[in-house]
Amino acid sequence: MHPDPLLHLTRRHFLSRASTGIGAAALASLLQPSLSATPSGVSLPHFAPKAKRVIWLTQAGAPSQLDLFDYKPGLRQRYDQDLPDSVRNGQRVTGMTAGQARFPIAPSVFTFHQHGQAGHWLSELLPHTARLADDLCIIRSMNTEAINHDPAMTMLQTGSQVAGRPSFGSWLAYGLGSENADLPAFVVMISRPSGKGNPQPLHERMWGAGFLSARHQGVRFSPGRDPVLFLANSPGITPERRRAMLDDLAGLNKIKLDDYQDPEIQSRIDQYEMAFRMQSSVPELADLSKEPASVFDRYGPESRKPGTFAANCMLARRLAERGVRFIQLYHRGWDQHSDLPEHIRTQCYDTDQPGAALVEELKERGLLDETLVIWGGEFGRSVYSQGQLTATTYGRDHHPRCFSLWLAGGGIKRGTLIGETDDFSYNVIKDPVPIHDLNATALHLLGIDHTRFTVRHQGRDYRLTDVHGNLIQAAIA
Amino acid sequence: MMKTPLLRAIFLGLTVGALEAVANEPAPARPGFNRDIRPILSDACFHCHGPDQNTREAGLRLDVRDDATSATESGAVAIVPGHPEKSEVVRRILSTDEDDRMPPDRSHKSLTPRQKEVLSHWIAQGAEYQNHWAYEPVQRPLVPTPNDHPVDAFIRQRLATENLRAAEEADRVTLIRRATLDLTGLPPALVEVDAFLNDTAPGAWERVIDRLLASPHYGERMAIDWLDAARYADTNGYQVDRDRSLHPWRDWVIQAFNENKRFDQFTLEQLAGDLLPNATVAQRVATGFNRNHMINEEGGVTEEEFLANYTADRVETTATVWLAQTFNCARCHDHKFDPLTQRDFYSLKAFFHNVSEKGAGDYAKPANVSSPPFLPVPGPDLAAKISAIKTDIEQAAPDQSPEGKDRVAALTKSLEEAENAVPVTLVMDDAMPRDTFVLLRGAFDQPGEKVTAATPAIMPPMSDSLPRNRLGLARWLVDPTHPLTARVTVNRYWQMLFGTGLVATAEDFGSQGEPPSHPELLDWLAAEFISSGWDTKAMLRLLVTSATYRQSSKFTPAARARDPDNRLLARGPRFRLPGEFVRDQALAASGLLVTKIGGPSVKPYHPPGLYEQITEGSGTTVYVPGTGEDLHRRSLYTYWKRSVPNPAMMLFDAPFRETCVMRRPRTNTPLQALNLLNDPTYVEASRRLAQRMLLEGGASTSSRLTHGFRLVTARHPRPAEMTILTASLERTLLDFQADQAGAEALLHVGEAPTQPGLNAAELAAYTTVASTLLNLDETVTKE
Repeated sequence: MHPDPLLHLTRRHFLSRASTGIGAAALASLLQPSLSATPSGVSLPHFAPKAKRVIWLTQAGAPSQLDLFDYKPGLRQRYDQDLPDSVRNGQRVTGMTAGQARFPIAPSVFTFHQHGQAGHWLSELLPHTARLADDLCIIRSMNTEAINHDPAMTMLQTGSQVAGRPSFGSWLAYGLGSENADLPAFVVMISRPSGKGNPQPLHERMWGAGFLSARHQGVRFSPGRDPVLFLANSPGITPERRRAMLDDLAGLNKIKLDDYQDPEIQSRIDQYEMAFRMQSSVPELADLSKEPASVFDRYGPESRKPGTFAANCMLARRLAERGVRFIQLYHRGWDQHSDLPEHIRTQCYDTDQPGAALVEELKERGLLDETLVIWGGEFGRSVYSQGQLTATTYGRDHHPRCFSLWLAGGGIKRGTLIGETDDFSYNVIKDPVPIHDLNATALHLLGIDHTRFTVRHQGRDYRLTDVHGNLIQAAIA
Repeated sequence: MMKTPLLRAIFLGLTVGALEAVANEPAPARPGFNRDIRPILSDACFHCHGPDQNTREAGLRLDVRDDATSATESGAVAIVPGHPEKSEVVRRILSTDEDDRMPPDRSHKSLTPRQKEVLSHWIAQGAEYQNHWAYEPVQRPLVPTPNDHPVDAFIRQRLATENLRAAEEADRVTLIRRATLDLTGLPPALVEVDAFLNDTAPGAWERVIDRLLASPHYGERMAIDWLDAARYADTNGYQVDRDRSLHPWRDWVIQAFNENKRFDQFTLEQLAGDLLPNATVAQRVATGFNRNHMINEEGGVTEEEFLANYTADRVETTATVWLAQTFNCARCHDHKFDPLTQRDFYSLKAFFHNVSEKGAGDYAKPANVSSPPFLPVPGPDLAAKISAIKTDIEQAAPDQSPEGKDRVAALTKSLEEAENAVPVTLVMDDAMPRDTFVLLRGAFDQPGEKVTAATPAIMPPMSDSLPRNRLGLARWLVDPTHPLTARVTVNRYWQMLFGTGLVATAEDFGSQGEPPSHPELLDWLAAEFISSGWDTKAMLRLLVTSATYRQSSKFTPAARARDPDNRLLARGPRFRLPGEFVRDQALAASGLLVTKIGGPSVKPYHPPGLYEQITEGSGTTVYVPGTGEDLHRRSLYTYWKRSVPNPAMMLFDAPFRETCVMRRPRTNTPLQALNLLNDPTYVEASRRLAQRMLLEGGASTSSRLTHGFRLVTARHPRPAEMTILTASLERTLLDFQADQAGAEALLHVGEAPTQPGLNAAELAAYTTVASTLLNLDETVTKE
């Protein structure tokens, strides 16, 4: 007598069910069933979601708000003047500029224009993003606590500067699971700058699951033979040989299951079947060769090179189409302590056109309404120059007190501008948005009350937003 | 025990899970405070009515009886002993008015009818409080049935009350594999299996255990858990993540376990070896425990900010490892659930705040000397070389001729080179005394009240005779009357063998942690551990010689229904092996394992391009795999880079080694399957396992398959298994005979050579079967 019908599932039965899309216990692990219950007993989502998924276009290294989004024409007259002490007001700067004799103001060398009905001011560096102006909600009043990259990126991704908390994607993989039985719920892709800029080092922790189970961590897709680590069969092992070997393996594991009755054995059998399905679903997903030339043209010349931000944006659209819950791209190289005007051009060349193409494609395919797209980095950059300031070049140091970021789709109010900074893009003077508010709002759009989405660890109920977070009402449609 | 949510759902939905069973039981007639009441109050009430005075509402404190039974700001009395009808608590939890009811809706907490009933019963019976169990002195209870093994006596007493019976003893093959994996992290050799099967004299099991505890691989196995707790890694972490040198400390740990260093001494040397009288080099190396934290070398960091992080990390790690207290919660405010104040946190920090370290690393300097204090640790060869050069210089110095001066100059240069080549290891010192302040809201730049080194107020006081430094702290921790150190430590050993601790939350013995499943047994073991002289090997020997440990791990319907997580131990432990064990076992079974102990970390096979994609800058940006022996060392010697840890280990739930971790989750994922199927590590191991089957397994297919099966599982295959394996081999052989190129391709994975003269198609076929064997559920499982 077996009280547990799952233990009686035969492999054939399992496979026939799996082939119809929603598998059985395979989903229990890497792929969470949709609409799961959290251990606190709360079913997710808490209310009807506007967004089903998130595409986070993370700009690692911190893009300069002063040269892209936060137009400060008045600074032209203050070129090379000292930043007034009353603005800095004794706030700390990093050790890289703390020793500078002066904090000379470096106005952006780039021109800005207004775009769309919304009238968003955008830098000349973002001609493609400018086309989207009326779809965007731009926040100029983001701010954070950390002043160095690692703690700041950890804060942006996990809501805490201290290592060990789950990333946003892991929270969603845990809470909402996947909509696709053959792909992970949380996928990460990383690109390097095509220019010379300093490629920002990242850290696996940023897409880690923290104290959630490791199966909720981001699965990184790489360009090349193995889009997922160890996905490709060994040389000499054809798919037919793998299939036959897995049948033998399942047969042997089934004998063990009959003997021991441990449900973990059934789960392992299922995980091997899932692995086999991923061996076809992932390469099919990663194969851009069937995309028409017109699509590549839209994403720009870099899109034909695997592993670029442009190619990853195309993949992001394909992942969204297949129901992946959280798609996180990292583009490295925004840390422009020197020669900013030169390096930011190549960064924008890498990211402007593909990011805009992604949003437009989602829109045309009817996916934008259910996909929240977020574009931004871990903090902003200083109005004063780091190192030498000339008429044509300057550097900018880290600046956590304000930075800019845009949102699109997924229940975001189109053509909105939120927040304001002072004349120096130094301090926020209106509607500050801490990272916890951004995360609270993103969860809200996904149908989740951030105050009720908790996981117990070390006796405490943890949240992505810790004990903070207010909805950015003005951003919600 | 981590289980997938679906599996949990299966248990809850289709069987009667233990939790649900408890929830459905009638409220106990005589509720006990620690067992029944504190968990309710802690979870639902303490957040606003508990230890943290800054967030306490209505002036009501429920964790202290005198406060709870006195009038609050409003004049109401929360708890009137003997009179639930007069107790404000009861009125408020039963209130149907949303604005009046406790806990309030905004807390997202609620009480079940049963919990309300239990609270009322308890107040009616006098509302007696008890101190939290973990802070009470360890009392050695009487063994219920003194003629039995003490572990079995306590476990069976509880099973009897639950109407469960202990399982039969597992067969000998299962047992020797279980114990060998548990105590050495490696599978048993076939000669060891056979010796045990043939040893029919009494005491055979004890002889196996004594042999395993004497094995040099025992120390390696024990070190794996300790490295997780100590957050050991080979790089500094954070953005730059350059190499550091702490492997001499790792080797010290292995040796300490192998020597069976008393746990109190093990503690003293790691926390304060430098402060011991006439401290030896080894005792100073041991203090590397508290230098394992991350160090930030990013440009422009604020020294004070990261110094505050490093010292906080030491407090949190020490408090977790020895006290199982979640002290990190008290860094920014008083603890919400446990009686630990923010002042306690910073008073503990004062012990660790006098190190001649820098808040920021310095990546202008070579990585090995950028983070003082450190200690040169020349191996014997290098020490001899340096000594010889010094002698040569002394002898050459008097010769003032040009040739003589040239010679001295050359010797001086080679002395410098030799000294620069000396490995260092990070250590602690007390060379830079600093004032310590409570940091308001934990912010490094907001000092509050000044504090001095002191132990937490809720715990037994530190004797006046102890110095107020790390040595005093360590001696306080290992005082035989300390309520936590021994309990926490034996609980970790229990967890290592049985999969879950007697206290399941091994890192949290506080009020939000799980109470012990067998409190008397925990105390008996703790008392035994102390009276044995903190003898770790004796404690492990005691546990594995119990019948409880030796039970079969087969599931039975009754036990599964009543106790799905096997907390009552009506069967033996069965769970997936840690990642290190999985790989080491494959290397051992295939004959590839290099058993050399210690030394700098090594770089085995690794997916190409991984570092380049994720990291770059001033750290190591390219992974250059080692060659030869480096490819096949035990996994605890694998180079651990914090920003991109070894991916295979991560897939099998190893932590990042950035913070202290006392228990790993045990997941079951398709990415693990892909790793075991396709990682060159396992493809190569399959080929060499196949070679062993062909060369050592006799002439027949069945003897060869049996040999391979035994090398991996220690047991003989059953007929049904043999049928599958034989058919698999025959089919694969035909397949590869028709595809020599495919066979050759498979056989060229990995650097280890194949014995010349073997038939390629046959070896490829056996390799495929060997891969099946290495992927069996049983293979990656301790059962």
